[in-house]
Amino acid sequence: MGPEQNIILEGRGVSRYFGALAALSGIDFSLYEGEILGLIGPNGSGKTTLFNVIVGVCRPSEGKVFFEGRDISGMSPHRICQMGIAKTSQIVQPFTRMTVAENVLVGAMYGGGLPQKEAWEKTREILAFVNLDKVMNTPSGKISIPERRRLELARALATSAKVILLDENMAGLNPNEIEEALDLLRAIRERGVTLMVVEHIMRAVMGISDRMIVFNYGEKIAEGTPREVAENPSVIRAYLGDKYA
Amino acid sequence: MLIQAIITGLLLGGIYAVYSAGFSLIFGVMGVVNIAHGDLVMLGAFTSYWLFTLGHIDPFLSIPFSALTLFIVGYGIQRLIINRVVEAPPIMSYICTFGIHLIIANLALRLWTADYRSITTSYCGSHLECAGLVIPYARLATFGMAVVMVGGLYLFLNRTDIGRAIRATAQDREMARLMGVRANHVYAMTFGIGAAITGVAGSLISSYFVIYPQMGLSYTVTAFCVVVLGGMGYIPGALLGGLILGVLESLTATYWNAGMSSALTFFILFLMLIFMPAGITGKGIVE
Amino acid sequence: MIQTPPGRAFTLPRKAVLLAAAVFVTLILVPAFCHQGYALRLMGMIFMGIALASCWNIMSGYTGYIDFGPAAYFGIGAYATALLMVRGGVPFFLSIVLGGVVAVAFAVPVGLPTLRLRGAYFAIATFAFAEATRQAVLEWDRVLGVNFFQGSHGITLPIGPTHQFFYYTFLVIMTVLFVITYLVERSRMGYALKAIHEAEDAAELIGVNTLKIKIYAYAISAFFTAVIGGVDAYWLTYITPNDVFSVHITIKMVIMCLLGGMGTLLGPVVGASFLTLISEPLWARFPYDYLIIIGVIIVLVIVAMPKGIVGTLLEWKVDSRGT
Repeated sequence: MGPEQNIILEGRGVSRYFGALAALSGIDFSLYEGEILGLIGPNGSGKTTLFNVIVGVCRPSEGKVFFEGRDISGMSPHRICQMGIAKTSQIVQPFTRMTVAENVLVGAMYGGGLPQKEAWEKTREILAFVNLDKVMNTPSGKISIPERRRLELARALATSAKVILLDENMAGLNPNEIEEALDLLRAIRERGVTLMVVEHIMRAVMGISDRMIVFNYGEKIAEGTPREVAENPSVIRAYLGDKYA
Repeated sequence: MLIQAIITGLLLGGIYAVYSAGFSLIFGVMGVVNIAHGDLVMLGAFTSYWLFTLGHIDPFLSIPFSALTLFIVGYGIQRLIINRVVEAPPIMSYICTFGIHLIIANLALRLWTADYRSITTSYCGSHLECAGLVIPYARLATFGMAVVMVGGLYLFLNRTDIGRAIRATAQDREMARLMGVRANHVYAMTFGIGAAITGVAGSLISSYFVIYPQMGLSYTVTAFCVVVLGGMGYIPGALLGGLILGVLESLTATYWNAGMSSALTFFILFLMLIFMPAGITGKGIVE
Repeated sequence: MIQTPPGRAFTLPRKAVLLAAAVFVTLILVPAFCHQGYALRLMGMIFMGIALASCWNIMSGYTGYIDFGPAAYFGIGAYATALLMVRGGVPFFLSIVLGGVVAVAFAVPVGLPTLRLRGAYFAIATFAFAEATRQAVLEWDRVLGVNFFQGSHGITLPIGPTHQFFYYTFLVIMTVLFVITYLVERSRMGYALKAIHEAEDAAELIGVNTLKIKIYAYAISAFFTAVIGGVDAYWLTYITPNDVFSVHITIKMVIMCLLGGMGTLLGPVVGASFLTLISEPLWARFPYDYLIIIGVIIVLVIVAMPKGIVGTLLEWKVDSRGT
C-alpha cells in the first residue's frame, strides 16, 4: 500500500520571517494522496510554522502553497478548512462549555458545510469512529487528556477534510495510549484521509510514516523513507551533535 | 499662537501622562481596565483641596498626603474587591470597577455637593513671559513634577525588589507564585502604587483646574486615549501618549473648536486601536 | 447548559411553549384590566430593559466580545426616528425601522475593523466609537454652521400616544427579540457564536468564518438597539445627544445582562426585570443615595454571583443532577 503518485498538497519555496528571524526558509514539499508524511526536527525548527502557513493562520512571507493544484496561500483559515485541510493543535482547544458532540457538530456544520440534521448524523458516526460516543453529552472541559486528543481529531474529521495536519497529537499520552492513537491514525488513513504528522515521539512517527521530512533551523535537511532518514548523517548531526555524525 | 498652543498642550500632556501611567500600570499587570480611575484623580484633587482650604497647605506640599491616602484606598480596593475577580473573565473586572466608580463618585457628591471648586494660591496669576509666550509658573512646576513622577515609576519598576516582583507577576502569575511572590499582595501593591501616582496627578490638577465630584469619568476616558497612544501597559509610553494627546487637544481647541477636540480624541483612539493596537511605540501589550 | 439530544435540536419542551404563550397572552390582556398609568409605564420600561439587554446578549453574551458602545446605536436610532418624523413627516413605525437600517449601515463598516480586536481593545474601541458619535452629533451644527441635529438644544418630537401604546410596542419588540435569541441559540449561528466565545482560533480552524458571524451578531444587535432607541425617543418626546448617547445606557444594558446571566436565553429577562424593579423603589426612597446603592449591588453581584442569577441557578441544577 505505497503512496499513490498523486500530489494533493504542495509547497514551493515557502518562507516565513518573524522580524529578522527566519522560521522557515525556502521549503519545498509534496504530499501524496493517501500517504502519511512525518515531519520531525528539534524544537523551533519550523514544523509548527509550516503547519500554520498551510492552514492560513499566518501568510507565507515568500513562496506558495497549492492544494489540489489551487494556490491557497494567503487564504483565511476557515476557507482553507472548507476546501479540505484541517489541523489539530498542539495545545488542545476544546469549546469547553459545549458538549463533546456539539464540538464535533460545529466542525461538521461549518467545515463540512452540512445542514444541522445531516451534521448530527455525521457527528454520531465520527464519535463512534474515534470511540468518544460514550462521552458525547459530557461538557468537553470534563473529559480526560486522551479523550481531548481524540476530540481534536474528531473535529478535524467532521470537517470532511481530505488532508489532516496533526501537530503533536500524542503529547502527554502513555505508551498504551500511543499504541491506540497510532491504530486510530491508520484507521483514519483507511478512510482515505491524507495525513501530515508532527511528532516528537520518534518511535511513533517512524513506525507510522510512509515518508519523512527533517527540519532544522527552518530548513529542510533531509527527506525520504523513515529508514533513509534515520541513516542520514546530517539528521544524526542535528539531533545528536557533530561527534556522532 | 502655534508655539503657544504647543506649549500649553505639552504642559497639559504632562498631567495626562501621570495618571495615565497609573492606569497603564494597573492594566499591564492585572489586565484590569479601571473605569474608576478618574475618580481616583478626583479623590487626590479633593485631598489637596481640603488640605488647602482647611489647613492652608499648598497643593504642591500636600502631594505626599494625597499619594498616601490614595495608596491606602487603592490597596484596599484591590485587596477587598478586585482580587476576587482578577481570575474571572475580564468583563467582570470592568463592571466591577464601574460599580466602584458609581460608589466613589456619588459618595463624593453626597459629601461635597456638585459645586465646582478651585484653589486660589498666591502665585496662581504669576507667569513667565518670554518671546511673547505665556507660561504660568504653576503649570511649569506641575509639568516638571509630572515628568519626575513617570520617570520615578519607571525606575521603581525596574530597580526595586517590589518593582521586579510586580513585573514578574505581570508576565507570568503562576511562575511568580512558584518563585515565592504573593500574587494577591503584589496586585494590591500595584493597584496601590497606581492609585498613589494618580492621586499625585489629582493634587497637581487641583492647583489650577476646576474640580468637582463628577469629574472622574472624563479623566478615565482621557487615560484610555493616552495609554492606547503610548502602548497599553508600557509606562514610558504614557508620557509620550500624554504629550501627544495634550498637544493635539490644544491645537484643535486653538484652531477649531474645543468641543471638536474631544470628538477628535475619540476618533484618534478608534483609529489607533484598529491600525496600531500596540501604540506609537509599538511596545504595548496586544492580546 | 441545557442539553439538546442530537437530531432533536428543533423541538422545544411542550410545557415551555405553553408557559411562554400563557405569559404572552396575559401580558397582552393586562392593559384591558389595568388602567393605572404608573403600572403600565413601569411594565413598559421593564420590556424595554429586557429588549435592550437581549440586544447586548445576542452580541456580547454569546461571543464574549464586550461591546461598550451600544449607546451609539441607541442614539442613532433615536435621532434617525426624531429627524424622520419631525423633518420628513415619516410615520412612526416606518421611522423606527429606518432608524434600525441606518444603524446597520454604521455597524457593518465599524464592526469590520473593530471585531478583529480582542479583549479590552474591542471594549475600548467600541466605547470610543460611541463617545465620538455623541460628540459629533453634539458639535455638528456648530462646526458646520448648519441647523440639523441642533446640538445640545435637542429635538422635540410630536407628542406621543399613551403609555399603553408604548407598552404594546415594547412588548412586541421584546417578544421578537426573545424568539430571535431562542432561534439563534439553536441554530448553526448559535453554535458558532458559542464556539467563538470558547476558542475563537479553534473555531476558525474548523471552518467557521468567525468575522462574518461576529458581524452578523453585531449588526442584529445594532438594528434592534436602534429600533428601541427610536421608540424611546418618541416616548420621551425630547432628546439630546447627552441623553440618548449616554454611557449610562450602555452600562445599563451590560449590567442587566450580567445580573441575569450572559449568554443565556432567560438572563436578560431576569436581569432587566430585577434591575428595573429594584431601581424604581430605590430611586423613589433614596433619590440621593440611589447610585451609591446601585454601585454596591453591582460590586456584590460580581463578587458573589459572577455567573448572574440564571447562570448560578443553572449551575446548581447541573451540580444537583451530578455530571
